[in-house]
Amino acid sequence: MSENFNIDDISNLASIELSKDEKAKLQKDLQIILEHVDALKNIDVKDEKIDIHPLSKVLELRKDESKESLKHEDAMMNSPETKDGHFVVPPSIE
Amino acid sequence: MAEKIPSISKINELFQNKEMKPSELFEQVYETASYTESVLHAHLELFYDEGLKLSKESDKRYTKNESFGLLDGIPIAIKDNINIYGYKTTCSSKMLSNYVSPYDATVVTSLKKAGTIFTGKTNLDEFAMGSSTENSAYGPTKNPWNPNFVPGGSSGGSAAVVSAGSAVASLGSDTGGSIRQPASFCGVVGFKPTYGTVSRYGLIAFASSLDQIGPITNTVDDTRIIFNEIQGYDSKDATSITPEYTKLENKKIKVGILKELMQEGVSNESQNEVNKVVNLLKEKGHDVTEISLPLTEMALSVYYLIAPAECSANLSRFDGVRYGIREDASTSYEMMNKTRSVGFGEEVKKRILLGTYALSAGYFDEYYGRALKVRSKIITDFKTAFDEVDFILSPTTPTPAFGFGEKTKNPLEMYLSDLCTIPANLAGLPAISIPTGLSENNLPLSVQIMGKPCSDYSLIDFAESIEEMVEFNFSPNLLKENNES
Repeated sequence: MSENFNIDDISNLASIELSKDEKAKLQKDLQIILEHVDALKNIDVKDEKIDIHPLSKVLELRKDESKESLKHEDAMMNSPETKDGHFVVPPSIE
Repeated sequence: MAEKIPSISKINELFQNKEMKPSELFEQVYETASYTESVLHAHLELFYDEGLKLSKESDKRYTKNESFGLLDGIPIAIKDNINIYGYKTTCSSKMLSNYVSPYDATVVTSLKKAGTIFTGKTNLDEFAMGSSTENSAYGPTKNPWNPNFVPGGSSGGSAAVVSAGSAVASLGSDTGGSIRQPASFCGVVGFKPTYGTVSRYGLIAFASSLDQIGPITNTVDDTRIIFNEIQGYDSKDATSITPEYTKLENKKIKVGILKELMQEGVSNESQNEVNKVVNLLKEKGHDVTEISLPLTEMALSVYYLIAPAECSANLSRFDGVRYGIREDASTSYEMMNKTRSVGFGEEVKKRILLGTYALSAGYFDEYYGRALKVRSKIITDFKTAFDEVDFILSPTTPTPAFGFGEKTKNPLEMYLSDLCTIPANLAGLPAISIPTGLSENNLPLSVQIMGKPCSDYSLIDFAESIEEMVEFNFSPNLLKENNES
């Protein structure tokens, strides 16, 4: 399974820029892990269902009611840059 | 002078009888912290001024006989991935080095209502990813029993402060053993409750289907007191449950010894602790039997697909826009790439990349989907096992604490230190680690007890009976050395 692992493609998908040294080290470590997890392919899971919650609880949404919550300015206070209640980011189009 | 801290019930008795004030206890743990921190680096931040102020308010409540309960005035440390309003929550990451919590985690709200005093925030492996606290961006924590050894992780700081006496108890988070493994390495009690019984609201998410907040304490009774305060349904956490706790009517307990955690890969020292406890249990008339759950051997592989997959999704929020650091760049895309490159450490990058791969087109079914299905099989196996036994006993860790740098060369070697703890996270089970003895190197050794979902209180009761049988009365060298000086 793991022979198709390409560190450049994956770091691009994960939006993490890697140095040459990091690529070499991470490629090696990830190969070791992927070889280890390959053992799972020998297990028959044909009829198995998937539960996201380990106690099989059905995840509920809260009622759509207006309640007191985090203030707008508190929610934005950790942003590196804001203006007039909006997040400011560099241009998205080159 | 450092002294072994009494249990929470005993401290409360001293407060009630006016033999000690909460502010005096706070000063005592702060004084301990003032010399242990220079060796251990277990707290990332200490809250002296606010702690002293709040403990004096607690003094007044006890004077007027109006205390809030057992936890009023008790100094507790909080792992630095749990939000406390107005204080930094860094997750031991450069990424969140400037992040100030705009709200309280639900567990923090509960403890504040109970009158608890926070000593500060404790060190961890970055974003709770690791087993030694060596992955902290702010430097490692050291083990109070011997500073040449790791305290375990990821809640290494939370375990070390309790062991060293610079807090009466602490909160940690446990995704694959991050409360129990460091508790074991530091000779204290660590409890991972049933998944969903303690709200995760305000815990910075690593792997949402596995993460669970729990206490680290000196005694099992302290664990009971803190769990009692922090458990319960919370509508702010979609995975929260309304627990219906089971009780054990029989005094004769059926205990299963998990064969797969008592074989090659687990040291003789760790296995001997289980055997020692088995003999004590048999002497008390309990039934002990060997059980086998072969898929337990796949738990590590399942975990290292599910946890990174969930981590890659959860940590995508750190993009330099809403919180955390930002690297300058001419486009948003470039800014995010550079910010994530500079903000995350090596282990976090490794797990994000692994998770991204496991979730990527063409590999989802083969990796993440398959891991979820094997997890379901493991859950079924545990359900079947608990039809036969009340509790499952195993070592908490394959070895006692290891040295710094000993397991950093090969990722699997580090991951294997969570071999015994990961199954409980995959199945959502409550599990507790209690110290039982010392290794040849005078480092703590422990056993782990797992129970069926929502058996938390009966598991705690059973662990307390083992605690009484083993009589672990040792103290870390750091405390002994200071008492002698």
